[in-house]
Parts: sequence; C-alpha cells; structure tokens
Amino acid sequence: MKKVIQINQLEKTYFLEKVKVEALRGVSLEINTGEFVSIMGPSGSGKSTLMHIIGCLDYPTSGQYFLSDQDVSKLNDNQLALFRNQKIGFVFQQFNLLPKATILRNVELPLIYNNTDSKNKKRLAMQALKKVGLGNRLKHKPNEISGGQKQRVAIARALVNRPSIILADEPTGNLDSKTGKDIMKMIRELHNQGNTVILVTHEPEIAQYSQRVIYLKDGLIDKDEVIT
Amino acid sequence: MIFQSLKIAIESLWANKMRSFLSMLGIIIGVGAVIAIVSVGTGSTQQITSSIADLGSNMVSIYPRTPRGQAGQISSGSSQDKFSLELTDYIEKFCPSITKVIPIKQVSGTLISDDINVNATILGTNIDYTEVNNYELDMGNFISENDNSERKQVIVLGSQLVEDLFENDNPIGKSIKVNYNGQAYMFEVIGVMKEKGGSIGGNLDEQAYIPFSVAMDKLTNSDYVSSYIAQTSSSEKASAAVSELENFMVKFLDDEDQEQFRIISQDEILDTVSSVTGTMSMMLGGIAAISLLVGGIGIMNIMLVSVTERTREIGVRKALGARNVHILFQFLMESLNLSSLGGILGIGFGWLTAYFLSQHGDWPMVIAPLSVVLAFGFALFIGIFFGLYPAMKAAKMNPVDALRYE
Repeated sequence: MKKVIQINQLEKTYFLEKVKVEALRGVSLEINTGEFVSIMGPSGSGKSTLMHIIGCLDYPTSGQYFLSDQDVSKLNDNQLALFRNQKIGFVFQQFNLLPKATILRNVELPLIYNNTDSKNKKRLAMQALKKVGLGNRLKHKPNEISGGQKQRVAIARALVNRPSIILADEPTGNLDSKTGKDIMKMIRELHNQGNTVILVTHEPEIAQYSQRVIYLKDGLIDKDEVIT
Repeated sequence: MIFQSLKIAIESLWANKMRSFLSMLGIIIGVGAVIAIVSVGTGSTQQITSSIADLGSNMVSIYPRTPRGQAGQISSGSSQDKFSLELTDYIEKFCPSITKVIPIKQVSGTLISDDINVNATILGTNIDYTEVNNYELDMGNFISENDNSERKQVIVLGSQLVEDLFENDNPIGKSIKVNYNGQAYMFEVIGVMKEKGGSIGGNLDEQAYIPFSVAMDKLTNSDYVSSYIAQTSSSEKASAAVSELENFMVKFLDDEDQEQFRIISQDEILDTVSSVTGTMSMMLGGIAAISLLVGGIGIMNIMLVSVTERTREIGVRKALGARNVHILFQFLMESLNLSSLGGILGIGFGWLTAYFLSQHGDWPMVIAPLSVVLAFGFALFIGIFFGLYPAMKAAKMNPVDALRYE
C-alpha cells in the first residue's frame, strides 16, 4: 500500500490569551492511499488542530508532515494554498457554501483558483454534481435547498479537483440522523470508489462507517484500531 | 487572475445591490459635482466672453484718471481739462491703427414720463456710437450730426427704459423730462435701442443717449469728456492701437508714469473675467474634489464592514486554494468596481446637472473632456487607495481563524 500521509512527532503549541496551549504533543501516524480513517476524541483532545495541519491550513510547531511525499512544513503560504487546492477536498460541518452564489458556482470555486478554463470548469463541476445526485439543481442558491443537499454540494466541491484526500470535519453535525446516515453512505461510497477519506468526529456511530479509528487524548494518540 | 477577481467582485457587488449603490453615492455625487461645476464655469465664461465680444472686440476705451494721492479732488495739475473734444481728432491723426474716436460724456439722471421716474445712465455721444459698439436700433433713429450741431434735446432709450416708462406704447415722438443736478430738461424720444442685456459696466438696456453737445453745454456745462471709445480697423490691430495710444497720451499729457489716464481694451476685460471665473471654478472644483475624497472614505468604510462580515467566506476561499493575492485582488476589484461604476454614473449625473443648469442659466452647455477624465481618474485612484487597506486586511487573514469566525 502507498502512503499518502506520514506524520512524525508532530507538535503544535499556541497561545490563547497568553495561556500556552499544547494542542499536539508528539503525534505520529501513517495513512495509506484508499483508507477510510476516523479521528475521534473529546473536545480539547487536539483533533481539530490535527485536522487543520493535515488540511494544510496551519503549520506544526515541530515535527514533520509528509503529504504525497512532500514535506508540508517546508512549504510557504502560496505553495500551501496550491496544496489545499490540489490535494485536499474539505467537507465542513457548517457546509460553508457561498450563500449568494449558485450551486454550480460553488462547486466551480476550487477550479477558479487553479485557472481551469471556463469550458472545463463547467464540465468538471457538473460531473461532480451528478456524482452526488444534484445534476438538476445547478441554478439554485444554497438557501433554496435542504441541509442534506447542501452537504452534497459541499462533497461535490471537495471532489471537483480530484484531491488526494477528502477531509470531512463533523460532516453530519448539522444534519438530522436520517440525512446524516445518507451523507455517511455517500462518503463510504466515495471511499469504495478509491478515495482516501479522513473523518473527524466525536460520534462513535459515525466513526463506525470507517475502517480505522484513531483516538486522540490530550494531544497524543490514545488508541489506533482497525474496525472489522 | 485579474479577470477572475473582477468576475468574483462583480458577483458579490451585485449580491448586495443596495449597499453597493449607497457606498457609490459619494463618488457619484463627487464626480457629478466636479463635471457640473466645471461645465457651468466654462459655459458661463463663454457666455460672458461672447457678450463682451458682441460689444465689439475692436474697441479700446480711454479714461482720465485722478492722479494718485489726490483722490476725490481735481488738482490744478490734473489732466482732466485736457480730455476735450478736440483730442478725438488728435488721436485719429496720430494713431494709425485707430479709425474712429468718439467722445462720451456720462451722467446720471432721472427720466420722468407722466408720473413714472426711472434712474438711468445718460451718455452724451454722437452718430458713430452705434457702429463702434456694434449696437443696433429697434425703432426710430439714433442721434444725427444735425442733432449734435444744433444741440437738439433729443433722446434715444434702451429697451428696458422704454418698458419702464411707456410700458407697451410706442414712445417715438413723445416728450420726457430729464432731471439732472436739480434742473429739469425736456427731451423728445427719437429712437429705441435693441435689447442687448447685461454686460460689464452695467445693463446697456438701462442706458439713454443724448447728443454729446447737449450733455456738455446744456447739462453739465463742462469742457472735458468722461471717456473716449476708439475703434480699430480690425480686432487684430487692438494691441497695436493700445501701444500707439499709450505713446501718444504719454507725450500729449507729459505723463511718463501713465498716472493721468487709463486705457482699457476688450482683451483686458476678457482676461479679468476669465481669471475671475477661472478662480471660481477652481474653488468649487476643489470643494467637489473634497466630496470625492469623502466618497472614498465611505467606500473604505463599507469595504471594511464587508471584509469583517465575510471573514468566513475568506476562510472558505483560502481552504479551497485561494492565495493571498487572489483575496487581495478580489476585494481591491470590488472597491475599484464601486468607484468606477460610481464614476460612470457620476459622469451621467454631472452631464444631466450641467444640461439642466445650462438650460436654466441660458448659457451654452460645455463639458470639458479634461474634467471628465480627471474626475473619473481621481475616482479610480480613490477606489484603489481606499480599497487597499481593507483588501490587505482580508488577504492577511489566517485561514483557521477565518473558518472559525461566527
């Protein structure tokens, strides 16, 4: 199996109102291509910080993070932005769609930042929307569709650049349990199609959809177990 | 990338139509005011200039002047008694550029017809006055050579005076009383001048004309004139005529410092008028430019609000791969769009204002291209200048913090 993520002794310390917070205190892990991994832990365990670093949104204080064999901690802001664009597909708890833009425009957004020409942009965005079953809602605005549909738009947006990993942060947190199940089934289907999925959640039932669960506690890995 | 940013910026401005319009309003008013004020300035200057030119651009006036330090009294050394009727012949003889010189004796008097009194400026002059001043009669005749030599008490009235004294009746042949210096004289109305309107030195329509000899010998009993009006052969000769006149007068009056007379040409009046209206336009234009500046601050204010409000959007865009420069350009384009669209609407607004003002003020509508270019360029500059700080603030946001923003 090819490694997509390798993390060695990752530490992250930041200051919150002059109080030193050691969010990560030496985390090491590897994730292979095609895996479906959940990161779990109580609030304050460092799982959000770990997700931000994996998502190339933040730098570690020390340690190494290789994404597709590239040491991310050595990248500058612009290279990091390019990495986020090319390698990572984000799915957020709050959906984070642009409210005034149409669904098609929302899905096209990652393509705008890598200068895809307008013809391919539309084609790729429509392809991604069809994949999540929203091929007929292109002209709608996000406030005209349901929460589950919004999250499907967000998934289409995450897929549109064919990223190395899909990073889902509490994707069902704002959905009722039935819709949440539908979204999780869709995410599992994406995994079955070969995508690498990393899921951050605090709900054990949601983590059950994945193959492997990493438990974080006080900035360290507590347990790393494979679910059968 | 700039095109991309422009497209994103237009979308987001369109999504907030009302707010965008309100923040543009300062620029619209500023640009409109600059264009309208400059247009009114140039239009009214043109109107005044052309009405001065109507008076005859080939005219030069000569006035006696009380020497300095002796204001209010005529000393024995004063030259005023040298400003006689005979001087007209000398000037014509010694100044080749001047074709004709007419004497003017100007007095203020009261014209009385029945029980209506009107104060008027009364000019004693001769038959050549109408030709030199490019001035025509509406009806009747002007003062003839005969009227002058026989000292006939005849009077020609400006159009406003006729309206005031006779309303709509035909005044030709009627008698009016002229009160001057406590004495009353009877005059017969022989002509009415065409309407000419206000100009430098008073409204011509409120002037009356009598034979020069009557003004000198009967009304004032004096030997010197109020001024001379000299006509040059063409308007190009006016400056030559001025220097010839100066040389002649200096020798004639033995007045090296030119303290006893003053020569005024139309060019000089035009210069004065255009410098006065130019100063006015500059001042008002400056005030309008300040309103543009205030408009720019309004744009900055709105952009700062917009950046804060859209913190999460900035976070999302960054998470999806937007670089700092993408965000910078997006917000810079928004403020530039606000100011340029405001500028375009302002040009329209200024044009309309200038049009209505020119209709109302009855002067030609002139839109100076330079004022349009300058006002629009200044608006663009303001858009960039005041948009830069909010855009930089947006670009520098940390994506993690921006995504967490509620």
